[in-house]
Amino acid sequence: MSALTNAPAGAVPTGEPAPKRRNRRRRRPADWVILALAIVFGVLIAFPFLLIVINSFKSPADYATGGPLALPTELYFDGLVNFWERVNFPEKLWNSIYTSGLVALFAVVISVLNAFAIGIGRVRGRTWIIVLFLLANMLPQEALLYPLYYMFKEVGLYNTTWAIIIIFTVIQSAFGTYLLASVYGTFPKEVLEAAALDGANRWQILWRVVVPISRPTLSVLLIFFFIWTWNEFLIPLTFLVSNDNQTVPVAISVLQGDRLMDVTTTSASALLGVIPTLIFFFIFQRTLTRGITAGAVK
Amino acid sequence: MHKRRATLAAAVAAVALVATGCSGAGGDEGDDNTLTLWHFEGENSAMGIAWDRAIEIFEEETGATVEFEAKGFEQIRSTASQVLNSDEAPDILEYAKGNGTAGLLASQGLLTDITEAVEEHGWDDKLAPALQTTARYNEDGVMGSGAWYGVPNYGEYVTVYYNKDAFAAQGLEVPTTYEEFEAVLDSFVDAGITPLAQAGQEYPLGQLFYQLALMEADRQWVNDYQLYEGEVDFHDEAFTTAAETLVEYVDKGYLSQNASGLKAEDAGVSFINGSAPIFVSGSWWYGRFLDEATSFEWGIFEFPGSELNLGSAGNMWVVPVNAGNPELAYEFIDITLRPEIQALLGNSGGLPVAADIADITDEKSQELIEGFNAINERDGLAFYPDWPTPTFYDTLVAELQQLINKTKSPDEVLTSLEEEYESYAADFR
Repeated sequence: MSALTNAPAGAVPTGEPAPKRRNRRRRRPADWVILALAIVFGVLIAFPFLLIVINSFKSPADYATGGPLALPTELYFDGLVNFWERVNFPEKLWNSIYTSGLVALFAVVISVLNAFAIGIGRVRGRTWIIVLFLLANMLPQEALLYPLYYMFKEVGLYNTTWAIIIIFTVIQSAFGTYLLASVYGTFPKEVLEAAALDGANRWQILWRVVVPISRPTLSVLLIFFFIWTWNEFLIPLTFLVSNDNQTVPVAISVLQGDRLMDVTTTSASALLGVIPTLIFFFIFQRTLTRGITAGAVK
Repeated sequence: MHKRRATLAAAVAAVALVATGCSGAGGDEGDDNTLTLWHFEGENSAMGIAWDRAIEIFEEETGATVEFEAKGFEQIRSTASQVLNSDEAPDILEYAKGNGTAGLLASQGLLTDITEAVEEHGWDDKLAPALQTTARYNEDGVMGSGAWYGVPNYGEYVTVYYNKDAFAAQGLEVPTTYEEFEAVLDSFVDAGITPLAQAGQEYPLGQLFYQLALMEADRQWVNDYQLYEGEVDFHDEAFTTAAETLVEYVDKGYLSQNASGLKAEDAGVSFINGSAPIFVSGSWWYGRFLDEATSFEWGIFEFPGSELNLGSAGNMWVVPVNAGNPELAYEFIDITLRPEIQALLGNSGGLPVAADIADITDEKSQELIEGFNAINERDGLAFYPDWPTPTFYDTLVAELQQLINKTKSPDEVLTSLEEEYESYAADFR
């Protein structure tokens, strides 16, 4: 803590002459301290993930003798292969991609429509509408479980992926509406007026002006919705009864036994479950940072 | 006009959605010749192997096809009440035994009363009395009496695992009395070894506590405690001795005080890697030890000085009320109880409930099954300490941790346990 508070003080150039070229500043001890701290934090954050990676490639006997922290004595792929085959992983992967993808898409579209009405259209009682929307996010999912179960059973959507898609579209778009409504609330009026003067109707204003300008924010929402839906467990567990409908996190829970746990196979399954979101994140990493900075500048 | 057309389009889309959903759900409906079966045992576990064979025999003999889905324990436990209440219910599934699980579902009317099938096939003759306890539930969902709702296939019991090499190194024999057992523990402590693998954060510590209490108990005491047949006094000799003995174990160094922060997995691993020579725990470890504890010789012995041991029937087959083909389900249960399947279960490292010991060819398995049969012959299965109330497991874990951490005295711990127990069990007496 003290190093952290001292660091900015040390970074202020006191008696030294200003360096000639800015981009070739000499590293002072304080910089090294900050770098070391950043590395320590990085390792701390990555630690659980590293544990998963280490244990995924260990045989159960190796785990039993060496414990969770030791490096594997030899690479062991049976855990990964077993899990892959036991749950038919490609099928689960496709289910997850399909549900998360559709949810992300639907939720963003609905959020935009809602937020356009609330943020730019400024309908009456919008604060209360937003509060109402937020309820969907604030209620614990356990409380929603039974009402949703009965509703979906009545309409015959129990044990279909559509149940998951509809539920999460609603939950995610509730959050999206809340966020976008406040973004659109500060949307420059001049732009809207200019568009109206040019003869654009509301529909055209929305799709030709508002959406393109807020694209970075929308991409961030899309990515978050995808990852959040991907990681959902409780509701998919309840609604996806048949194995061929299940998503990756539900498939991982298959390994949870009554009294025993198989640490190495469980790690392997966790690794397989995390990899797709990681890949997704790396692909869209630039969009994410761009979207966040776009929001910050505005 | 525009608006109206949009609403209409939305309505059409919604109807289409529902329709496709319906046909999706309808497609899963089994016909007369399919048995939908769920269980949560690993593919390579004894049960997994034996039931795979049972499925083959079933398909050969009945001509029906089995639609098997592998599930997780947690998955079935947390979603059963919803699934079984819908059209998606399987014809037969493996479900956890006990008041809070199978008992609850039975009292909610979600499980089929299979008493007739049990009598017709003579399954009750194959199962020892204590094994039947968890298969029968009364209208309140309390086990031990009433109609049959399930059929167990395998059993489990708590025994003492010991490291033969470590015993030989200290020149020790397998103890046959409790005094000898303590003497063995003393010798290890003298040699600088903490003898008992323990885990206070999960079930092992509670099981040792209950085992110590059982030394002073009889069958009626167990029935009072587990089946609410009579008053339970937590300050009686059995419980008091058990609590005081646990504290003594810590003081004498039989178990490490650090164990209060460990999980069952840690305790098991400390036995496998040879750092703890004795582990009082269940038969569910047996298969794993066979595979993984290969760097030394090990064996089991019965906890000395006790007529009663922890143990019970395992999880069991239940037939949902919404099952489409209950008759096929009974056929399947009958096959799983055949000597052939039971022997396969035993030879694969499991603990069959109805096996002939002569059919067991694997020497290691014989040792385990003989131990189980010996307990059943004297009607010695006393179930588990956390069964009486739905929240007793957490209470027991928390209180016993405080006991071995010495933040509470044995007397205080027993009083807390009694309060928790009475608040639930009093309604059933």
